[in-house]
Amino acid sequence: MATPLLLGALAVLLAGPVPALLARLPRTRTTPRAAMVLWQAVALAAVLAALGAGLSLVTSTAWRRAPDLAPYAIATAALLVTVLVLGRLLVSGHLVGTDLRALRRRHRDQVDLLAREDERVTGAAAVRVLEHDLPLAYCVPGRKVERVVLSVGALDRLSPDEVTAVLAHERAHLQARHDLVLEAFGVLHHAFPRWVSSAAALAEVRLLVEILADRAAARDGRRRALGSALVTLAEGRVAGPDYALAAAGSDPSLLVRVRLIGDRGPHRLQAALLLTLAGAVLVVPTAFVVLPWLTGLN
Amino acid sequence: MPLRSLGDLERSVMEQLWAAPDTGPDGGAHEGLTVREVHGALSEDRDLAYTTVMTVMDRLARKELVTQEKDGRAYRYRARASRAAMTAELMRETLADFDAHDRRTALTAFVEDASAEDVAALRRALDQLDPA
Repeated sequence: MATPLLLGALAVLLAGPVPALLARLPRTRTTPRAAMVLWQAVALAAVLAALGAGLSLVTSTAWRRAPDLAPYAIATAALLVTVLVLGRLLVSGHLVGTDLRALRRRHRDQVDLLAREDERVTGAAAVRVLEHDLPLAYCVPGRKVERVVLSVGALDRLSPDEVTAVLAHERAHLQARHDLVLEAFGVLHHAFPRWVSSAAALAEVRLLVEILADRAAARDGRRRALGSALVTLAEGRVAGPDYALAAAGSDPSLLVRVRLIGDRGPHRLQAALLLTLAGAVLVVPTAFVVLPWLTGLN
Repeated sequence: MPLRSLGDLERSVMEQLWAAPDTGPDGGAHEGLTVREVHGALSEDRDLAYTTVMTVMDRLARKELVTQEKDGRAYRYRARASRAAMTAELMRETLADFDAHDRRTALTAFVEDASAEDVAALRRALDQLDPA
């Protein structure tokens, strides 16, 4: 009877308080890669623990020759909840996945059609320039649709070095397939939007992904160019001619990013600690709770 | 003759449609171009099968980038809007996508959004960065 309780408690901790706490530790952003691994480990362990709690409750009450009515009812309820949780995840995964891919395909089709030639980015593969004064730079992720899009407004405001830095940042997103990690956390948030810290997790992972792309772009002495590109494009969004078109809301993550561009690290001890925690979160429950339960079934 | 990609062809067709005049010969709204008219214009500098152009224009209609109206036995095609209007529309959609913030977004922005206060703080932080 201990196994379902342990796994249940673990699931509750890993779905709520632990991510909430982790999101309040901004120092983890100085080792973005290790932090990403930890976040993914916590999310995976939370899901596995939740499913394991349900399944172990089924086996601990109904895994006998002739269970009584009460244990049988509990087992059925547990199985139902587990199936619902898994079903919700799969349905969300499907809905979010097809939705995102359809949106990206449509966007890519329109961008390819409306794009202009621009000598400031000739030769750069999969880069498209849109003729609009609002300064925008973004990418369309996905193996078959990947594009980096810049507006004329952005190219007009950025120096050649800054353009190189922005392109390197966007390409880093595409090459590292950050969209997949964001999709996974998006699915979790879609499936379980309340009572768990899925929103905080998604927000933090989105920031980490930007920091990772900044890191990739800031190599080769491009730190300054990357920072000034960030500030220039932020400025352009506020003061541009299409002010009515731009939402001009606040984005605190920009300040975090500019500050971290100057952080040279490498913070090896912190990275090692976070990676160890990631390993522990997955290995310790598996070794001390799941394996004894599974072997005890025989 | 270089093999043109389908994307290039779609763009060439759109350019023909965008270049079509706004008013027709009788002074009313232009009715749109037929496949034959577009094929004629495009074949001037390349070898292009009529059916290829027809397929491309049909695809554009299905993607709702052009409107398709029957005129007797042929279809007449018009671009959904001018290039500038379609670009502005795409920019609006892109910004709306960024506004989704904590919900899932299809695109990844370099700078999602900013306010005037952000920019002031950003400039100060940038000044504190040591070069390179």
